Amino acid sequence: MRTGTQARKYRLQGAGLDLALPYLMLAPGLTIVLGVLVYPLWDGLRASTRAYRYGSPVADVGLQNYLHLWSDAQFLNALWVTVKFVALSVSFEAVLGFALALFCLHEFRGIRLLRTVLIIPMVITPVVVAIVFRLIYASDAGMLTALSKATGGGEVQILGNPLNAFIGLVALDVWEWTPLMFLILLAGLQSLPHEPFEAARVDGAGAWRVFADLTFPMMRPVLAVAIVLRTIDAFGTFDQVFVLTRGGPGEATRLISIYGYDTAFKFQQTGYAAALFVTIGLVVLALAFSAIRLLRRVDAS
Amino acid sequence: MMHSSRLTRRSVIKGGLGLALASTALTTLGLPMPARAAGKKVIIGAFADGGLTPFKEKIIPLAKEQGFDIQFLEDEYGVTLEKWFADAQSGAGQYDLYLLDDPWVPQFGAANVLEDLGAGGIDGSDKDWIGPMIDMGYWPPRQGPRVKGFENAKPTLICVPFVGDLQTLTYRNDVFTGGAPKTWDEVIAKGKEGVAAGKIKYPVVFRGVSGNPIVTSWYPIFLSFGGAFFDDKWNPIFNSAEGKASADFFVGTMKQNAPSGVVEFDSDQEGAAILGGDAGAIIQYSGNALKADDPAQTKVAGKLDFGVVPKQEKAIAQMGIFIAGVPKSAPNKANSIEFLKWYVSAETQAKLSEAGSIPVKRSAFGIAKPGNRLIPVALQQLDAGALPRPRTPDWAKVEELLGIELNKALQAGSGGGAALDKAAKQVKDYLTTAGYY
Repeated sequence: MRTGTQARKYRLQGAGLDLALPYLMLAPGLTIVLGVLVYPLWDGLRASTRAYRYGSPVADVGLQNYLHLWSDAQFLNALWVTVKFVALSVSFEAVLGFALALFCLHEFRGIRLLRTVLIIPMVITPVVVAIVFRLIYASDAGMLTALSKATGGGEVQILGNPLNAFIGLVALDVWEWTPLMFLILLAGLQSLPHEPFEAARVDGAGAWRVFADLTFPMMRPVLAVAIVLRTIDAFGTFDQVFVLTRGGPGEATRLISIYGYDTAFKFQQTGYAAALFVTIGLVVLALAFSAIRLLRRVDAS
Repeated sequence: MMHSSRLTRRSVIKGGLGLALASTALTTLGLPMPARAAGKKVIIGAFADGGLTPFKEKIIPLAKEQGFDIQFLEDEYGVTLEKWFADAQSGAGQYDLYLLDDPWVPQFGAANVLEDLGAGGIDGSDKDWIGPMIDMGYWPPRQGPRVKGFENAKPTLICVPFVGDLQTLTYRNDVFTGGAPKTWDEVIAKGKEGVAAGKIKYPVVFRGVSGNPIVTSWYPIFLSFGGAFFDDKWNPIFNSAEGKASADFFVGTMKQNAPSGVVEFDSDQEGAAILGGDAGAIIQYSGNALKADDPAQTKVAGKLDFGVVPKQEKAIAQMGIFIAGVPKSAPNKANSIEFLKWYVSAETQAKLSEAGSIPVKRSAFGIAKPGNRLIPVALQQLDAGALPRPRTPDWAKVEELLGIELNKALQAGSGGGAALDKAAKQVKDYLTTAGYY
């Protein structure tokens, strides 16, 4: 039996803990988020408004770094190369991934093994993939050259030719990331309701009709999510290019990530690089929001 | 009894806090701190390069006999500058010694992140140093133009030469039977004869990848044509008539006589071409040259000789030495400086020369049995002429801008002079923005 004073004390302690406990429980997570996400973001924004010399800030320059970007031929070239790379890679990956997902929807002997094999490229470390592709593309001792010479041809020039190097980079990306599209779209296809398809079959609809009138419209939200995710990811492509071409020949494969990296760490223009990455971050965010809004509008209509 | 053993929120929080404090204390007190080991530990950061092989194989064991505990950490060339600069600037203290590429010294010097080695007792005025090499260890430079902000600063010895690497010519003695070719025209003409005789596939090979590789390959040709890079006010003058002639020769004649994929060639491919017996001649640093007599590493052992770089106007090579700096954040600073004093002593330099590496002290070139045929040739090249790259903290950017334009011209196989004009404008614009003028 508690006395009145004891009961009051326990009640007060309980009330105090009840109030503080949620915050105490949240504190570690919140501290980590502030430390690794909010602070670096704020620090990056602050850096983007400063001029750096020899790795240290020397002056506040306001939005000058942001304005300078649009007269920097190297930045504009890198942006254009990145946009081309993202558009081509993601388009190919979406089409191929969708085709593979449709094919692997069917159940037949060995399908489980095939589905597993198809996702192997995306689980290989990107740097390793780039090294392997370098060994394939090298004009002196690469596999393509060896194959060409074995069939009476000459050296195959991939990495020394701007167009071929760019196509080679897209091919690498498509090889590595089509499986991600395939996986997302296969999951989407498997979750579609059976009834509309059965009804269409009963009505005698052909495969194309079913695809055009049912599968594709029903898959559009999943497809959009997959494309948005891959687009955001492709904008950040770095390691494959770093190993395969380092942005060359010339500037043919110099993506914005490589230019930003060099600017920040090799040339020590920290403020300018911060402005570059903030700008690209905003562009990607804008693209993502636009895609989502477009998707909602299509759904609503 | 029941009450006292019940799991309450208070006891959970108390227990959790106690556990966190206990684990923190254990971590702090109980775990060893590898970067702060006692004794003569020295953590050396280096980029992977064959030029350091004799040091790794022969000198590190000697250092261990002297009581130094050397930890040798290697990285790929392309990432070391940024990694070490970040380490030095943040004061992370991951290294005691960086083995820098010499053009990086101004960047580290301007950022004031390296120790004053002169104050540490290393004598920069020792007459035994190779003059142009020890000069590269000072910031601001003792000679030549200085960047703004450092015009009146006293030159400080922040780095000491470590391996005296410089470019020399490696050539096939069965193709160039009269000895080292003296001019570029001879390289091409005799090389073509070698191709016709089926001895080699290409007269020359070089690095064509944009940025540092292509500029490094073009630079000795540029110097041999009589070019100069900047004037005393940092105005780019590399697009002079001599410079343009060198660039046209490089992207035209040189490309036509090199492997067809040379645009994408870096050191591994050019090394394979000369050591594999396909190329007749190459201008290179010691990394691959040191492999020339090892049948396990070359198909043409005994057929590769060394000489001074060919000339058009002058026979001047590019110096690209390994140079050691101690970061201010080094955890074992005193050990590093003691190690450097031992390493640059005439005795240890003689051992380095015996091991087959190019020393940084003149006396070590004169030993009875240098460990490699390249060493006396390196001294000949030093005496004939060898220049460092311009001493600016912005060299990496300058090299990038120039390298991209040269690489584009190399792809086209022409337009070297126009590429230099374009690069000169970009360099001027960049340096203007950086406050050089």
